[in-house]
Amino acid sequence: MIEVNGLRKYFGNVKAVDGLSFGVKEGEIFGFLGPNGAGKTTTISMLSGLLRPDAGTITIAGMEMSGGGGKARSIMGIVPQEIALYEELSGRENLHFWGSLYGLSGARLREETDRVLDMVELSDRADDPVGKYSGGMKRRINLCAGLIHRPQIILLDEPTLGIDPQARIRILDIVRKEAESGTTVIYTTHYLEEAESLCKRIAIIDQGRIHAEGTLAELVKLVGEEDIVTITGDFRADAFPALPEGTRIDRIADGTARLVVRDHGAVGSMLSGFFSSGLRVDTVAISEPNLQGVFLKLTGKELRD
Amino acid sequence: MKRVLIIFANDLRRRLKSPLSILLMLAIPLVMTLVIGGVFGRSGKVEMTKIRLLVFDADRGLGGRFVRQGFEQGKLAEMFELVPVDSIDGFDLMAEGKASALLVIPRGFTNDLLDRRQTALKLIKNPSESFNPIIAEEAEPLKKTRSMLSADKWPALGDMQVLLDEAKIPFTQVEGYIGDSLVTLGSETAADTARAGGNAGSSGFNIFSYVMSGSLMLGLLFTSNIMLNDIVREKRAGTLARALCSPIGTGHVVAGKVLSVYAVTAIACLLLLVVGKFAFSMDLGDPAALAAHTAASILMCTGIMTLLFGIVRRERAADAIAPVVIIVLAMLGGSMLSFDMFGETMQRIGKFSPVYWANDGFKKIMVFGAGTSDISRNILVLAVIGLASLVPGALLLGTGFRKGG
Ligand SMILES: Nc1ncnc2c1ncn2[C@@H]1O[C@H](COP(=O)(O)OP(=O)(O)OP(=O)(O)O)[C@@H](O)[C@H]1O
Ligand SMILES: [Mg+2]
Repeated sequence: MIEVNGLRKYFGNVKAVDGLSFGVKEGEIFGFLGPNGAGKTTTISMLSGLLRPDAGTITIAGMEMSGGGGKARSIMGIVPQEIALYEELSGRENLHFWGSLYGLSGARLREETDRVLDMVELSDRADDPVGKYSGGMKRRINLCAGLIHRPQIILLDEPTLGIDPQARIRILDIVRKEAESGTTVIYTTHYLEEAESLCKRIAIIDQGRIHAEGTLAELVKLVGEEDIVTITGDFRADAFPALPEGTRIDRIADGTARLVVRDHGAVGSMLSGFFSSGLRVDTVAISEPNLQGVFLKLTGKELRD
Repeated sequence: MKRVLIIFANDLRRRLKSPLSILLMLAIPLVMTLVIGGVFGRSGKVEMTKIRLLVFDADRGLGGRFVRQGFEQGKLAEMFELVPVDSIDGFDLMAEGKASALLVIPRGFTNDLLDRRQTALKLIKNPSESFNPIIAEEAEPLKKTRSMLSADKWPALGDMQVLLDEAKIPFTQVEGYIGDSLVTLGSETAADTARAGGNAGSSGFNIFSYVMSGSLMLGLLFTSNIMLNDIVREKRAGTLARALCSPIGTGHVVAGKVLSVYAVTAIACLLLLVVGKFAFSMDLGDPAALAAHTAASILMCTGIMTLLFGIVRRERAADAIAPVVIIVLAMLGGSMLSFDMFGETMQRIGKFSPVYWANDGFKKIMVFGAGTSDISRNILVLAVIGLASLVPGALLLGTGFRKGG
């Protein structure tokens, strides 16, 4: 549904997007996970036809975007990162306007407006001016404006920025439902959990480049299948008990140790080593490999939250 | 076209929902009219303070009578009170503040006129009065006579006829002096001034109309400025980007926006004129002329501001530059200080400001009762400037949209 090849955009000497290539299939939710300034918004802007790439090609449903992409634009819905609404108009008036830009009119426009308002549970406030909405309410109308014309492709740029957990779950649900009904979704975020729970495939992007791309399981394999075990207790760093096969020390200090364990079973024998030496163990924490680890390994950065 | 209308209608709706900033801009000309106009007479009609014009007729001949009698009829009679004086008395009266100006008709004026020699009327203004003498200078018979005399060709027969009619002197009396063979085409200025005025049939000079005709454009320029500023703000707010992502196309977005600038400026103008008419009993002149001239003036206004915002794209720069440009153009065009008070050099410079052509037209229509044909040159100049700035301005604005996102 979406094919991107060698996409590039520099702003002066800032390499905002530096040679991106990826493909998204119909009905798939494709996640862009990256920290601030990674190039997510710049990529979305080029996909939506707002920014002209310096190099590379974008094909939307078989149509090249380079010629302006008139037809392709009409099947896309965009939910920008910054709330792009008219504050002096009501939620409904905003939706009417954005809907009419995509060719909706008359009864059809009114129906679709009611549908999306209902979807984000804002029907009762629809006639208040957007300027009087809370941040989360504006976000929800911002989302609606991108969905009102039932696009085949939705580009969502951090749509859950700064809203409460409940509303966030609601938005994720909406996106999931859209995808289930066959809509193709590109979803950018810097929240690991969102990418993990929502996206079928994820691209890890930093400094304008894709560092890895695949399903969650595929990505996790990249950092190996080792678990991280953190033990705290009454022990000294230089008198640590012998470790079972397939276990190594990652970091250690008096009273706390971080170990890399290839297999859960090893944890038991390690603990019995502690007990037999008469050392006290306070806590044991096992963390399975996740995107956090992948991200750290690939970019050398923690994702801020 | 439908797409343009969607953008246009939305901008109009938004403006109607928050009209305050524009209403504030409209306060400029209204306050100016109220204050300046109020100084000269609360009713707006200056009957009670007729302009006292002293006339020292050293000529005592036919030519002098042309001029004097011109001031004693119709509309001008309502504006001027003519007081014959010796030149000496005249200066004294002015010094005492009892007269606005002294008109000197020189000795031998009639003979010079008939012998086709250069001659000049002299208008000595009372320096302590800034307003009334200007009207005396504007007065038609004076202007007509002066322009006929200063033209390098003998005036057209028709023009002479007008003057003679006004002076109630039978044409036949002077027929002997002006043969048909002498009649060549009148110069442009002579023809111009001959037509303006006279056909108003209105009830006297209205000071509010005079001030409003000058200050109107100031309010309209600022109104256009607000509308274009809004486009810049939309860039920051992301709504513009969102519209540009839609299948509607940049050209349609620009066209819709520019149309809304024009429409809102036109509504603002209508509001000002309606308030002027009912609150100040302003005389608005010939409706057809007013409509045509207003349409052209707003085109100029929209065009100039669109070009400005097409060139200056950054928000801060636009915020700083636009008001300065407006004020300079308006000042040169005579919106702050009446154009009539400018010296000759300043008037020549002022004509390069498109605002002059707008102000001048409004004045001719609203104060001197000109018809559409009298101000056709103003309309033409304004329309040409308007289109010549609007087209490149809109194109620049469009490229700015695409680049700036
Ligand atoms: N219009 C612009 N002019 C100059 N530089 C820009 C512009 N837009 C983006 N950049 C730069 O390009 C880089 C990528 O920005 P982008 O907005 O795409 O990041 P992002 O991944 O969306 O970040 P965030 O999570 O903060 O939204 C940044 O370094 C940014 O400063
Ligand atoms: Mg971003």
